[in-house]
Amino acid sequence: MAVQKVSIWRKTPQLVLSALLIATVAVPIGCRPRDGAGNTDVKVLDSFRADVYRSLDPPRQFDVASARIISNIYDPLLEYHYLKRPYELTPNLLESMPELGADKLTYTFNLRKGIKFHDDPCFPGGKGREMTADDVLYTLKRFADVNVNPQSYPALLQNRIKGLDDFREKTRQQKDLDYDQENIEGLEKIDDYSFKIVMTEPDPLLLMSFATSPLSIVPKEAVEKYGRKLEHHGVGTGPYTLAKNPRKGVMVLKKNPNYHGTYPTEGDPEDQGQGLLAQSGKKLPFVDEIRIPLIEEAQPRMLKFLNGELDAIGIDRDNFPKMAEKVGDKFKLKGKFADQFNISSVDALSSFYITINFRDKVFGQNKALRQALAYAIDTPAYIDKMENGRGHALNTIVPLPIAGSERSVSVKWYPPNLQQAKAKLKEAGYPDGKGLPPIVILYGSQDNITRQNHEFLRAQLAKSGFQLKGEFLSFSDYLGRKEGGSFQLASGGWGADYPDAENFYQLFYGPNKAPGPNDGSYQNSEYDQLYQQMRRMPAGEDRNQIIEKMALLLKEDVPVVFLKAPISVGMRQKWLLNFKSNLMLGSSFKFLDIDTDAKAKGLKK
Amino acid sequence: MVGYIIRRLLYIIPTIMGVAVLVFVLFTVAGEDPVRIALGQHATPQAIADLEALWGLDQPLWKQFLDFLGQIVTFDYGESYFTGEVLSEAFASGALVSLSLTLPPFVLGLVLNIAIAMMIAYYRDTWIDRFATATAVISMSFSYLVYIIAMQYFLAYEFEWFPINGYAQGLDAIPYLALPWLIIMLVSIGPDVRIYRTIFLNEMQTNYVRTARAKGVSEPSVLFIHILKNAMIPILTFTIVAVPFLILGSFLMERFFSIPGLGDLMITAINNGDFPVLKGMTMYITMTYALFNLITDLLIAAVDPRVKLN
Repeated sequence: MAVQKVSIWRKTPQLVLSALLIATVAVPIGCRPRDGAGNTDVKVLDSFRADVYRSLDPPRQFDVASARIISNIYDPLLEYHYLKRPYELTPNLLESMPELGADKLTYTFNLRKGIKFHDDPCFPGGKGREMTADDVLYTLKRFADVNVNPQSYPALLQNRIKGLDDFREKTRQQKDLDYDQENIEGLEKIDDYSFKIVMTEPDPLLLMSFATSPLSIVPKEAVEKYGRKLEHHGVGTGPYTLAKNPRKGVMVLKKNPNYHGTYPTEGDPEDQGQGLLAQSGKKLPFVDEIRIPLIEEAQPRMLKFLNGELDAIGIDRDNFPKMAEKVGDKFKLKGKFADQFNISSVDALSSFYITINFRDKVFGQNKALRQALAYAIDTPAYIDKMENGRGHALNTIVPLPIAGSERSVSVKWYPPNLQQAKAKLKEAGYPDGKGLPPIVILYGSQDNITRQNHEFLRAQLAKSGFQLKGEFLSFSDYLGRKEGGSFQLASGGWGADYPDAENFYQLFYGPNKAPGPNDGSYQNSEYDQLYQQMRRMPAGEDRNQIIEKMALLLKEDVPVVFLKAPISVGMRQKWLLNFKSNLMLGSSFKFLDIDTDAKAKGLKK
Repeated sequence: MVGYIIRRLLYIIPTIMGVAVLVFVLFTVAGEDPVRIALGQHATPQAIADLEALWGLDQPLWKQFLDFLGQIVTFDYGESYFTGEVLSEAFASGALVSLSLTLPPFVLGLVLNIAIAMMIAYYRDTWIDRFATATAVISMSFSYLVYIIAMQYFLAYEFEWFPINGYAQGLDAIPYLALPWLIIMLVSIGPDVRIYRTIFLNEMQTNYVRTARAKGVSEPSVLFIHILKNAMIPILTFTIVAVPFLILGSFLMERFFSIPGLGDLMITAINNGDFPVLKGMTMYITMTYALFNLITDLLIAAVDPRVKLN
């Protein structure tokens, strides 16, 4: 037996080792240069996408992942200035900003001459032709066609342009309408380079819609040639063409050598010192090629960035304590990260809060109870502990970078105050919370972060006598409950559709009550009158005074309790130039530049 | 045998019908509302109605179910709600990618794990057996995610032996797949070796083995000729039923390594409530599973003379 054991002992390891050998062949096969390794002749920007885009056909999408790609291939008529804050509209495909007529209803748009679509087989001879007013009117009609765009029309153009809603109704009845045969009262071509748009009522905010990606200009030839395949193709006037578009691999954009845009010549006061105006007036884009792999998980994204294979990245909550810290109001990178990378932080254009349902029997008629809730939540502590300090405690609903925020009105929200919370609770009829049933808050997510945040709120409210219970729902169930008014409190948030306070104050306008955006069905006739007045006013001091009155009414009535306005913190490689966060642009790629020598030298190890 | 195969194929029809009903009820009646997910907050009733009409969700449920049955018969599940992709094409390309991820380590792992299991079965009740069994149990105690995160960090980032993630077409994909292959093989060692070891030990205690040894057959011959052949029956069963899941891929691996296979397609669809993808994938899995069950039975009949198909 012993002899036989030796024999098999000899053979079995051979088998094992053979298999291991085959397996470890993988190691040398796997060795290869890193993505992003430097070729100094071609300027390559290495970005990434965390989500699959839904559609690259502008009117068929309304999501961030799609808009980010579309903004590089297509152009809207207007865009937000890359450098100036607060965000400011500038002409993109236009000679100048649209002129408002004496009737306050008619805008005249003058297109820049000589702007060409990308070369593409959909055009005769494959050469891109010049963009004209016909393309804009075609785009607007197609945008309003319900069979093409069931999503973004209500948010961007509904009830705003004369005759366009009727046209949309007609497309609902009759598919495949010939747009050329349809005259719309509010759309009028003057000549090949100019056209008029007539509004249903004076609307200073309308122009912001023309800076959004769903309203990018699409040529008719591309729609006719590609049909639904245009959702994965791209024929625009934008700074880049779509060179490779695998569903999940590395998307590649190539520079459009005929692009019409130039780098801005003006910016904020500090931009000059930061080198952001060094390339003023130069032809865009600077980078020859952009590589955009799909990387859905945070770990590989961060490792690739640290390895020099990505040029910029956001710092997530888990990595933040290791890599960065908040010193005063500033964010700084720690240790070796500070040596290797630059940090950037930007105030996000969103607010997060707890909505109180005014149809709820406990809260709806009890102002003191709502005020007690506002005093009971220590928002700065919430931001510090749960968000690593990456947020602002808001005084009004409007995020700081947006016109009409607390920077232009003087309203202070409830400071955290346990004694005041208890006093208000007593005034509400529930001394120390006695007699107050447990209150229930809805969440539209079931992930760990949501549950951790809930635990923090529950512990805080317990100090003053509130018992908080969480209901963690799927997103569609959450929307159903909120819009059906079947909740007491709901975790909520709002991201700016356009950078104006109106977009946030409409959340409390009476006629917008649930299922509209006024989730809590807050109703205050004085507020509604002020809102109607403010909505039609141009930005300025008079408007700010009205906004201040509205903010004070909201403070008094407490239809929501503010939690935070987030701050996004990110890192970027030192070879990435001209970087300034602009959250209103779908993508800033065309303004960015790469120091190719530094990039070639800067790769890890 | 032909009659048996036809009979078994016919049995598959009610199975598929049952799964179809279940899938339809789960996704269409009880599941999340994809229209609400797509439109987000504060969608107007008209916008909801428009999108429902575009996706055919305004039709009566019986009509939607009939359409679904039609899709099962024609293998045409239409287009993804969210990406507009033609699903038959997405499934075909995704399945190939998933197989390129899962099949090589599956085959290599099979050889490796059987070899290890034979060795430790041979050394049963010695320190080699105990050490190997303990190692297998310990390796099974770590989550799949731990292997991925740790090996991606150390082998790809720190040691730079592999790309961190990515994918390419054709043979260019091999460098990107090497690390996932290694992880899949490593993760399979613990559970597979334990199962195979048990199978070998059972066989070693049978009468025919004792007889062979009594007749003076050498131990390698007993192991490789007698035991291995007989142990192949349960191993075959265990192996072939795993094949449908190879086509499905490994969703964690595909997400962490950005491999565009079916596993990742499925997870993205779950996140987005993309029901055409979910319905199509579930039905494909059901059909493949039923088919491979049949193949398993046929193969067992081929290798085990005691099994008669009739």
